[in-house]
Amino acid sequence: MWSVSDDALVAGLAAGDRDAASAFVRRFQRRVYGLARMIVGDDRVAEDIAQEAFLRAWRHADAYDPRRGSVVGWLLTITRNLSIDSVRVRRPTAFDPAVIVGLDRESDERGPDDLASLGDDTQRLRAALARLPEEQRRAIVLAGLLGYTAREIGEIEDIPLGTAKTRIRTALQRLRLALVSEERAE
Amino acid sequence: MSAYSCAQLREVAPELALGVLGGAERAEALIHVNECARCQALVNEFTEVADALPMLVPEHEPPAGFEQRVLSAGRAERRRRTKRWVAAIAAAAAAAAIVSITVVRVVDAGNETAVVTTASEPVQATMMTPSGNPAGWAYVTNGRSVAIAVDYGIEAGDYAVAVHPPGGDAVTIGTMTIADYRGSWTGRSDVPLPAGSTISLVDAKGTPACHGTVERA
Repeated sequence: MWSVSDDALVAGLAAGDRDAASAFVRRFQRRVYGLARMIVGDDRVAEDIAQEAFLRAWRHADAYDPRRGSVVGWLLTITRNLSIDSVRVRRPTAFDPAVIVGLDRESDERGPDDLASLGDDTQRLRAALARLPEEQRRAIVLAGLLGYTAREIGEIEDIPLGTAKTRIRTALQRLRLALVSEERAE
Repeated sequence: MSAYSCAQLREVAPELALGVLGGAERAEALIHVNECARCQALVNEFTEVADALPMLVPEHEPPAGFEQRVLSAGRAERRRRTKRWVAAIAAAAAAAAIVSITVVRVVDAGNETAVVTTASEPVQATMMTPSGNPAGWAYVTNGRSVAIAVDYGIEAGDYAVAVHPPGGDAVTIGTMTIADYRGSWTGRSDVPLPAGSTISLVDAKGTPACHGTVERA
C-alpha cells in the first residue's frame, strides 16, 4: 500500500476502501498534525484539528481534482484553514518564523528519506525562505502559515499597512523567482 | 464587470494567493481574475508558492492511537450517512407497501370485507462481511418488503439477494448490482421474514459476500 500514489489513495478513500483510508492517514498524519500543532500551539487542540482535517478530506475525497494541486497540498490547506479558524483571535507572543518552518534545525523529525520525499520544489522553497531578510520572512510566515492579514501584520510588527503589504509582496515574489530561476537553471 | 484594474490586482495578488485578503477586496479581486487571463496566471504562480509553504513546517508524531481514532470517526460518519440513505430507501419501500395495501383494501371494500392495514416500522438487519466488518444495512417492512444498501467492502459485481427465514428454506428474491463498493436494492419477499431471518448477498460462485439477521421489531 505504501507504493500506491497519493492520487490513488484518495480515489480509494472516495470508494470507501478500508486499506486506502488507513494508508492515507498513516502517510500524512505527521505532516497534518505537525502543521496544526505549529499553528495552534496546543497538542490537544491540534489533535482535534488534525482529525477534522482527515475527516473533511475523507468526506470530500470524491471532489478532489489532481489538476488543482497535489494531495498533500490540498490536505495541508484544509489543515491550515481549520487551524487558523481556531486561533483567529489569538496573537503570537514569542513568534519566530525560523522555528515555525524548521530553519533552526539541522534536521527536524523527518528522516533523510522523508526530506527527499518533500520534493525539489519544497527544498528550494525552504532554501529561498532562509535567504529572505528577517522582516520579509516574518511577514510571509505570518500571512502564509498563520493567516494574518496585512493589517494585522502591521499591528503585530508595529509598521504601517503599506509596509506590511510591501513585505508580503516582496517576499512572495522572491520565493517565486527563486523557484522559477532555479528550475530554469537545471 | 470588475472595478479593479490590472495594476490594482497586481497589488493585492500576493494576499489573494495567500488567502488573507478581506471580504470585499477579495470579491473584487476574484471578479477581475475571472475576467483576465494574465492576472489569473499571476495569481496561480503565487498560489503555487502559497500552497507549498505549509509543507515547510516540521512534521510531528501525533499522540498514540491517532490513526485508529480518525479511522473510527470516519467509518462512523460514513455509516451514519449510509444509514440515512437506507432509511430513505426503507421509507420509500414502506410507502410503496402502503399503496399496495390500500389497493387491496379498496378491492376488498367492494366485497364488504375491508381491513384497515398500515405499513409497520422497518426492522433493521446490519449487513456484515464474513470477516466481521460492517458492509451496510437491510430493512424489512411488513415482514416482506426488503430494502438493502451497502457502501463498504464488497467488490463490484452482481449478487443474488437471498433470504432465509428461521426453519424455512433459502430463497433468492432478486439481484443487486454493486459498483465502487456501493449499491442499493428494494424488492419483496414471497416468504415472510420474521425476526431471526437471514438476508445475504451471494456472489456468482455461491459465496456470501455479506449477510445480516433481521432484528426484533
